[in-house]
Amino acid sequence: MSKPYRNPLSSFASLALVTIVILLASPSDVFGYADPGTGAFLYQAVYAACIGGVFYFRKLLGRIFRKRP
Amino acid sequence: MIASPDARTTGSFRDPAGSVIRSRDRILRVVRPEFVAELEAFLCTQLARRLVESAALVSSERVPGEALEGLPAGEALYEHERIPFPSYPYEWPAEMLHAAGLLTLDLTLKALEEGYGLKDATPYNVLFRGPQPVFVDVLSFERRDPCDPSWMAYAQFARTFLLPLLASRDFGWPLQQTLSGRRDGLEPETIYRTAGPLQRLTSPYLQLVTLPTWLATNREDASLYHAKPAGSAEQASYILRNLLNSCKKQLKSAEPRADGDSIWSAYLDHKSLYSPQQLAEKESFVKEALDLTRPATVLDAGANEGHFSMLAARTGAAVVAIDTDPVVVGSIWRQARAENLDVQPLVVDLTRPTPASGWRNQECMSFLDRADGAFDMVLMLALMHHIVVTERIPLEDLLALAAEISREYLLIEFVAPQDPMFQRIVRGREALYSHLTHEHFEDAAKPHWELVRSRQITGLHRWLYLYRRRRAKN
Repeated sequence: MSKPYRNPLSSFASLALVTIVILLASPSDVFGYADPGTGAFLYQAVYAACIGGVFYFRKLLGRIFRKRP
Repeated sequence: MIASPDARTTGSFRDPAGSVIRSRDRILRVVRPEFVAELEAFLCTQLARRLVESAALVSSERVPGEALEGLPAGEALYEHERIPFPSYPYEWPAEMLHAAGLLTLDLTLKALEEGYGLKDATPYNVLFRGPQPVFVDVLSFERRDPCDPSWMAYAQFARTFLLPLLASRDFGWPLQQTLSGRRDGLEPETIYRTAGPLQRLTSPYLQLVTLPTWLATNREDASLYHAKPAGSAEQASYILRNLLNSCKKQLKSAEPRADGDSIWSAYLDHKSLYSPQQLAEKESFVKEALDLTRPATVLDAGANEGHFSMLAARTGAAVVAIDTDPVVVGSIWRQARAENLDVQPLVVDLTRPTPASGWRNQECMSFLDRADGAFDMVLMLALMHHIVVTERIPLEDLLALAAEISREYLLIEFVAPQDPMFQRIVRGREALYSHLTHEHFEDAAKPHWELVRSRQITGLHRWLYLYRRRRAKN
């Protein structure tokens, strides 16, 4: 049985949306008052999730390749 | 000098931490009691000191509350150094908006290293000293939560800097329209509708326009706007630095092209109208006039490529140069920046100058209100025929306007109907200007202006006049 084709971007976006909505974070102490924009804020959140992942990956690689543990 | 509290609705007021009041020649900032400690702490940091020293941030000084009548108890008062000629983003050529954006990003990155963030990122936080941008909103700096990986002002930065620059360069939407109609710039959805389907998928449209448009949702869920905190402060600052650097790359890719085309950049080979000798005559008249009058401030109306603005700036004057074409004004800025000359070029049409706008039409002052009494000398070189013929402004009115703007001197070039440029623009309406001789011009100037010196440019139907105001202006 073949898998139905799914647009990879929309499923990634939906996953990100669900993640953000479910994970009710503690509110930040930032007093920013400029409109954060809906789409732009979600883009930023997705971006942060991806780059955050890259950060961990680089740290992990660093640990693996370091001479001393 | 006591400032009036009635001026409270003017200037900046959206920040919950405080507001700015303009009195005649003082810029005062009122700060609410709960935010004073944070501002004091920021002003004492190495970051703030270095920024003020390098002239990237305006200076601030605490002043006694008595300086402002009716200041409520507990509110603190600060005074900022005055920027000589404030201007607004819808008066800037694209090059200046770009420079303001670069300054904003640089400050955000520097602040990040010291544990601070920028609350808002709008071009209204930047003014210009000559061609140099300077950040004026000190309340914009706030201590950030070290584990917060989000920049709330990112969307505003995109709306007010990146998207208008892209639209200006790729669609030809002038900043004068995209930034004056709405306070907060362009929404991604607006650009999405105009961009072509392939364009939407290329960088930077993909990140700035397409993805935000696709991700936008109608959910009214406030919890959506609280970002998940990062695992560590190191991770948060890594994410933010990455975001800010990618904004820098996008800003670079939205940079206006230096070789932009406009009808005026071709015309200024108006030098082709003058032979080298005639141009030298004009230059020496202007130089001698500047040496004689030594103006501290000069308005060059119809500056075109800024040749005479630069001349005035080299004698030590602070110059504001205005013209109607953003491409030409942009090239003045590039030259002033490169040669470090005090010239602030703005896209302003003298016959339809920037009106007062914003909240109660008091938030942003009109160009004429800012120009009133601000200039020792006004230059109107190779300009009057465009105003009189193309814009159909009566000559007497033009001379009267010059008398309102200038504190003392006017240097004006009279172009007679026989001049080739005049004939090019008159287009069949010569009969309207048969009376326009240089004698008629001199008579028209008499009510407001007293002649200091004049000369005709040899071989041209053009006369140069240096005038002095008849009635003293305070």
